[in-house]
Amino acid sequence: MVLYDDSATLAGSCSGSGSSSSFSSKPPPMQQQQQQDIDDLLAGAGYKVRSSELRKVAHRLERLETAMVNSPADFSQLASDTIHYNPSDLASWVDSLLSEFAEPPTYPSEFIMDPVTNQTVANDVWTTTNPNMPQVHQNISYEQQSLNNQLTVVTAMEEDSGIRLVHMLMTCAECVQRGDFSLATSFLKDMQGLLTRVNTVCGIGKVAGHFIDALSRRIFQGIGGGSINGGSAFENEILYHHFYEACPYLKFAHFTANQAILEAFDGHDCVHVVDFNLMHGLQWPALIQALALRPGGPPLLRLTGIGPPSPDGRDSLREIGLRLAELARSVNVRFAFRGVAASRLEDVKPWMLQVNPKESVAVNSIMQLHRLLGSDSNLNSPIENGS
Amino acid sequence: MARSNEVNLNECKMVVPLNTWVLISNFKLAYKLLRRPDGTFNRHLAEFLDRKVPANANPVDGVFSFDVLVDRGTSLLCRIYRPATAEEPQPNVAELEKPVTAEVVPVIIFFHGGSFAHSSANSAIYDTLCQRLVGLCKAVVVSVNYRRAPENRYPCAYDDGWTALKWVNSRPWLQSQKDSKVHIYLAGDSSGGNIAHHVALRAIDSGIDVLGNILLNPMFGGQERTESEQRLDGKYFVTLRDRDWYWRAYLPEGEDRDHHACNPFGPNGRSLEGIKFPKSLVVVAGFDLIQDWQLAYVDGLKKAGQEVKLLYMEQATIGFYLLPNNNHFHTVMDEISKFVVSLITVILMLVLFGSLYPFGMWLDQDVFWSAFSCMDSGVIVHEAHVPVRAF
Repeated sequence: MVLYDDSATLAGSCSGSGSSSSFSSKPPPMQQQQQQDIDDLLAGAGYKVRSSELRKVAHRLERLETAMVNSPADFSQLASDTIHYNPSDLASWVDSLLSEFAEPPTYPSEFIMDPVTNQTVANDVWTTTNPNMPQVHQNISYEQQSLNNQLTVVTAMEEDSGIRLVHMLMTCAECVQRGDFSLATSFLKDMQGLLTRVNTVCGIGKVAGHFIDALSRRIFQGIGGGSINGGSAFENEILYHHFYEACPYLKFAHFTANQAILEAFDGHDCVHVVDFNLMHGLQWPALIQALALRPGGPPLLRLTGIGPPSPDGRDSLREIGLRLAELARSVNVRFAFRGVAASRLEDVKPWMLQVNPKESVAVNSIMQLHRLLGSDSNLNSPIENGS
Repeated sequence: MARSNEVNLNECKMVVPLNTWVLISNFKLAYKLLRRPDGTFNRHLAEFLDRKVPANANPVDGVFSFDVLVDRGTSLLCRIYRPATAEEPQPNVAELEKPVTAEVVPVIIFFHGGSFAHSSANSAIYDTLCQRLVGLCKAVVVSVNYRRAPENRYPCAYDDGWTALKWVNSRPWLQSQKDSKVHIYLAGDSSGGNIAHHVALRAIDSGIDVLGNILLNPMFGGQERTESEQRLDGKYFVTLRDRDWYWRAYLPEGEDRDHHACNPFGPNGRSLEGIKFPKSLVVVAGFDLIQDWQLAYVDGLKKAGQEVKLLYMEQATIGFYLLPNNNHFHTVMDEISKFVVSLITVILMLVLFGSLYPFGMWLDQDVFWSAFSCMDSGVIVHEAHVPVRAF
């Protein structure tokens, strides 16, 4: 089965956008008028049907149902092997299904002869407050063909814009890394232009939109020297938890590191982990629990957590240490925690870590060492200084 | 009994507006494409065809929404809808779970319909309905994205409902200021109504208080073929064959429709006599072929001494509550908002009526219920327990 939807989309995760709304240039006047004619109640249900076409769509639905009942063999074929166009565009979806039937079925006529006046009248008994709208008979195949063309054009342009956005994002990020902020800024402008040509509700457009925001924050922070952490500590903690839940990357890094630590500590009774950036300590509950279940019993575990000093007078390192200690107590692992507050990693000297000669030490560094590489060519990088 | 291949399109055309007819017929046909004769379901196509909308933390018409992962093991998501306060036009992420501030805030746990197999919490039709409920009842609405059949049979949907209930009950930010408790209502349409009943059952001995159940065209059934099923088969969008398909997809394999999930007051049901079950508001559509089972449900509750109010909407078909283009819609929305009243008002009413007790007027529970609704608006809609109407 081939599925075909005119918005760049994760399957089924967002409503299809109407073909007319994806054009970045001004739509021709006819299209604007058509957009205003959309039945707004059906739009709330995710379907774009023009009020003037409601009756026609209803008749086609009737024909489809009759066809389905009269030729069940064709119908099961329909269910498993057909091209489905944008379901939001109900009229064309129904038409495309109708066109799949091999023989034109007998269907209730849209017009019947009124025996009294001998005139053709619309065959329509729906309860409606509107007076009968004039029926417009259209050639189905012509309509469908022009719709096909419309859908094809939109997708090609959106796809193209999406690909260009990705390339531009990579290039812009490289400029930021090099410190070439003026070139990066011009890329930003181009990308914002491209964004208007893709669907930003979902798919590549949505992801690109967020990355463009993040890059612009990075660029203007670099130039102006402002703080990159704009939000409150509380807000950042919530965001961090959401990120940890939603993305596998950090969890996986923690998992692999813990695995390596467990293997290295095998057979040792006094172990010491030094964490170069404690953050919220999300890596350690899993290690503590794994040590608790280790054959032969858990070792004495010391954890030294390095982190920036808390801005608002709270001792966040100590709070995290207390939580981890509580967890360790609940699984009977002897545990001791030390917090080392330092605004830069290079300020931490080995004597501050108080390593005991008899214990085994593991140094855990998740995405910290790259910050020690020099970003300003004037200063020597801390790594070069050998600290 | 209608012949299974008879196409009866004329009668339903006469009782619904055109756009409603288009919407429900579209569902009918699309759903038929998805149900395979061998009992399997074309989930891939179903998800493609279902019109979904993202949550929106920016308030629209005074309501904003966000999704939360309630249970990681089953990937259970819920969409939370909250009324926007005037001061903050754009809640940031730290404020999504800000504590509710009013004295009493009803929290409505909503289970969407779809005969246990279709739709999701983020389906456009249900997103719209939940947003309406927020404004209507000044409530927080929690829409549960329960696992669906046939991939997940009984009791998965009930388990997910129960998990969501426990989660809601344990959120400090949902507690009403008055008594630091979460004021919980269960609501649902079609299969969601069935789920609401069974989750309320599970809550009975748990210590979690459910203040009320709202069941819109709840999905019940049984082995027997009732009069309404035979009379209305195929006439108003729904056939007995499709009802049977969905029960076979949801119930454990080998079970028949007298299983207690399908037929709670049938031969395998649990007696509710003497049990503290929440008061119920049950809405039945006059053109719904399973109405005999829904009316039997109401009867079963009454016989067990439980508080229940029936709204029988004679000219309504299934799905009438999806579009606000008919009188049944507005009547029902009105009754729902009155049902979800603040506890304070209920207590005041009880005190008021209690003081009239010596006159011996309030011994009959049915009379109490109708007097209650007379007091607030004077609108009474086809109440079954008022003696004039016989069922």
